[in-house]
Amino acid sequence: MAKHATPLLDQLESGPWPSFVSDLKAQAAKRAKNAENIEFQIPTDVVEDLLGILELSFKHGRTHWKHGGIVGVFGYGGGVIGRYCDQPEEFPGVAHFHTMRVAQPGGKFYSTEYLRQICDLWDMRGSGITNMHGSTGDIIFLGTTTPQLEEVFFELTHNLNQDLGGSGSNLRTPADCIGEARCEYACYDTQALCYDLTNEYQDELHRPAFPYKFKFKFDGCPNCCVASIARADLSFIGTWRDNIRIDQEAVQAYIGGEIAPNGGAHSGRDWGKFDIQAEVIGRCPTQCMWMEDGKLKIDDRECTRCMHCINVMPRALRIGNDRGCSIFAGAKAPILDGAQMGSLVVPFIKVEEPYSEIKETVIEPIWDWWMEEGKNRERLGELMKRQGFQKMLEVMDLKPVPQHVQEPRHNPYIFWKEDEVDGGWERDINEFRKYHKR
Amino acid sequence: MAFVSSGYDPSKPMENRITDIGPRKYDEFYPPVIAKNKGKWLYHEILQPGVLVHVAESGDEVYTVRVGGARLMSTSLIREICEIADKHCGGYVRWTTRNNVEFMVADKAKVQPLIDDLSGRKFDGGSFKFPVGGTGAGVTNIVHTQGWIHCHTPATDASGPVKATMDVLFEDFQKMRLPAQVRVSLACCLNMCGAVHCSDIAILGYHRKPPMLDHEYLDKMCEIPLAIAACPTAAIKPAKVTLPDGKEVKSVAVNNDRCMFCGNCYTMCPSMPLADTEGDGIVLMVGGKVSNRISAPKFSKVVVAFLPNEAPRWPSTTSAIKKIIEAYSAGAKKYERVGEWAERIGWERFFEKCELEFTHHLIDDFRDPAYYTWRQTSQFKFTD
Amino acid sequence: MEYEEAKQKLVEELTKKLKSKSKFYFNDLANILGEKPRDAKKLINRMVTDGVLEYWSSGSTSMYGMPGTGKQAAAEHEEK
Repeated sequence: MAKHATPLLDQLESGPWPSFVSDLKAQAAKRAKNAENIEFQIPTDVVEDLLGILELSFKHGRTHWKHGGIVGVFGYGGGVIGRYCDQPEEFPGVAHFHTMRVAQPGGKFYSTEYLRQICDLWDMRGSGITNMHGSTGDIIFLGTTTPQLEEVFFELTHNLNQDLGGSGSNLRTPADCIGEARCEYACYDTQALCYDLTNEYQDELHRPAFPYKFKFKFDGCPNCCVASIARADLSFIGTWRDNIRIDQEAVQAYIGGEIAPNGGAHSGRDWGKFDIQAEVIGRCPTQCMWMEDGKLKIDDRECTRCMHCINVMPRALRIGNDRGCSIFAGAKAPILDGAQMGSLVVPFIKVEEPYSEIKETVIEPIWDWWMEEGKNRERLGELMKRQGFQKMLEVMDLKPVPQHVQEPRHNPYIFWKEDEVDGGWERDINEFRKYHKR
Repeated sequence: MAFVSSGYDPSKPMENRITDIGPRKYDEFYPPVIAKNKGKWLYHEILQPGVLVHVAESGDEVYTVRVGGARLMSTSLIREICEIADKHCGGYVRWTTRNNVEFMVADKAKVQPLIDDLSGRKFDGGSFKFPVGGTGAGVTNIVHTQGWIHCHTPATDASGPVKATMDVLFEDFQKMRLPAQVRVSLACCLNMCGAVHCSDIAILGYHRKPPMLDHEYLDKMCEIPLAIAACPTAAIKPAKVTLPDGKEVKSVAVNNDRCMFCGNCYTMCPSMPLADTEGDGIVLMVGGKVSNRISAPKFSKVVVAFLPNEAPRWPSTTSAIKKIIEAYSAGAKKYERVGEWAERIGWERFFEKCELEFTHHLIDDFRDPAYYTWRQTSQFKFTD
Repeated sequence: MEYEEAKQKLVEELTKKLKSKSKFYFNDLANILGEKPRDAKKLINRMVTDGVLEYWSSGSTSMYGMPGTGKQAAAEHEEK
């Protein structure tokens, strides 16, 4: 018999999609039974009370959580989000219900050995409820009490060789796509770069000294599976600057229908015979492809590397060999002045260990500028908007190139600086008056 | 329950403290076939919905079976995933950016037993634990935020609407009949922890009432300058308020017309709650994408200004989403994303095809960028 | 700036401001110290380790305050 009746939540147990309600109920029953004799360090019925308070929210159409900002682990400004319920008498098991962010491994690959260690720790010292994963990418431990925060942290660092992730005005836990680990489109090793920068900047990640949050995300190619261009203050998107590699025999195999287009992604409907003209050449945004004497030709200098042709014919077309990444700055979600996409800052940079050029000529000059000029709670993208793209190029000592803009400015209101104008601004009015009467 | 120490001594927090060690290194957790062939993959193919093969230069193959799941997940379920991964996959497993779980095997003969095992597991309530799918031109798992399970400023739940929506879209999770992939996301308030602003379909929680003011307690619970500073639109100012008993207290006043319902003041000041049964609900946004494929990444656009929170299954929301997907499926060309389709046929036609009402709330009036969203050409289409 | 001097200056200024608020952004502290952010950070980190300052986090933003000051502790039921 469940501790709280949950008639509304119960209605989410039916239907084919995995039901979090069923999962929570099973977890609650497992804790109540405690077949393994775990010495639970927070209330045994925490999951029952979680279901109970969620049911109350379903009934009221309102949340029952309050924020708390003090709790954390000593010396870290992030990684813990304080949470209290507003009905602690009825739901004492979730009176304190703090979140911990645990830094996820690159590519979100796991061994079952490690996952079980995480589960053992969290069953004993927390609710046993997680998010796999949070929006930023961390493993989320959902719900424990204040005294357990240091205990969990101690066990993570001492027994699991594992640190917390970021929250608050920090570098947030960087996240990457699967990259070279299992993707033929990856133009650099996203996991290696992500891991290196995460470790290089641990101080920035744990001890907040930024005006606001700062995110790195690493996409191996312009398909952008981790959405870096939409949500990272600095987004690293793989690209290449030589030629797409073409296997003409495989092109013919696609044309002949021997290989399904787009890796078979469209097999759920009969789209008719593959038509290379309509589906690839005609859809190329720069019209830089054509067939000639039965061969597919690409004018690579005109290609903008949108990935469409490669996505459609992965066995015939491959990314180039001279690879690196483009770096975009300033993406953010809408609040306040509207959402911003990342803007291209570095068209091409090689991604090679120890990544000194990326750190010294891109990341650190940008941080220095933002830390000094950024207002409280101003994201990089907002500072770029307030002080201008030109200012960012200036602090980074980068030469402006047409790749930086979608199109040149719409107005001629150029704020010339005095040293840009021959002779400067100091002039002799009397000399002028010799030729121009008052 | 007796307290069990981890070894941490609260009186000496810095003793033996380990800090700044970061995450575990990625390559500790690579399955052998991944470790061996990293950076040397030739091509991939989707063999059937939810099943991929990647082929390496060495001739090695890795078969991936992708399953959907709730991102809110218990350790019991993670342990079950471990059990499956031990049984079939040599003790390795991974998660995708969109909350899917991927089981990988290097031997084709192991694929079908793995699929059978995964597909056969159900929760007591009847739903699948590990539905196979989420690949190619279909609907994959929804990325989302916390909602009522854990957040203090949500305007809707997250796990509930996600479950309800995926039940309605389930067929398209397991088929690949759409013109291109459709990425659905949910954020439970406008702060958008989930960064849903570039999704094909975004479900966004939205408050519509400014905060209530608990004048009697406000100055006791909150530091008024912090509440004022938290407001992004400078709508809060200090005020002296006379309570019903005649006592004058320090509090705040909110310029309600300037409130954008973000809840940032509530974060700093628990005496300013804004959640409301009738006020809160859902905004639907459509046509965003993050890929650079064919066209540039796009923001999602608001196409439904408000739908009520209808727990537990949000039928108005799920039926509007279903209508959009069916109209898109019928009208878009192969490879065309929802936003590309809407731009090609024109947004006026989009509203007609999706049978959505156009209202004044859908015309942008927020700051400078609004101007560029109004129609500034004589080219438009007539609709019925 | 020497650590002890910085500590004294910061505690003095924050105590003066306590009447209206107890939580401050990093930049407010750097301005009080009159140091560039990177230099201020070293001093402030040490003050956190020494228990002179503690963090307060909204989840999205971080602030600093002197332990035990302000109204948040009581409101969050975390008074020590």
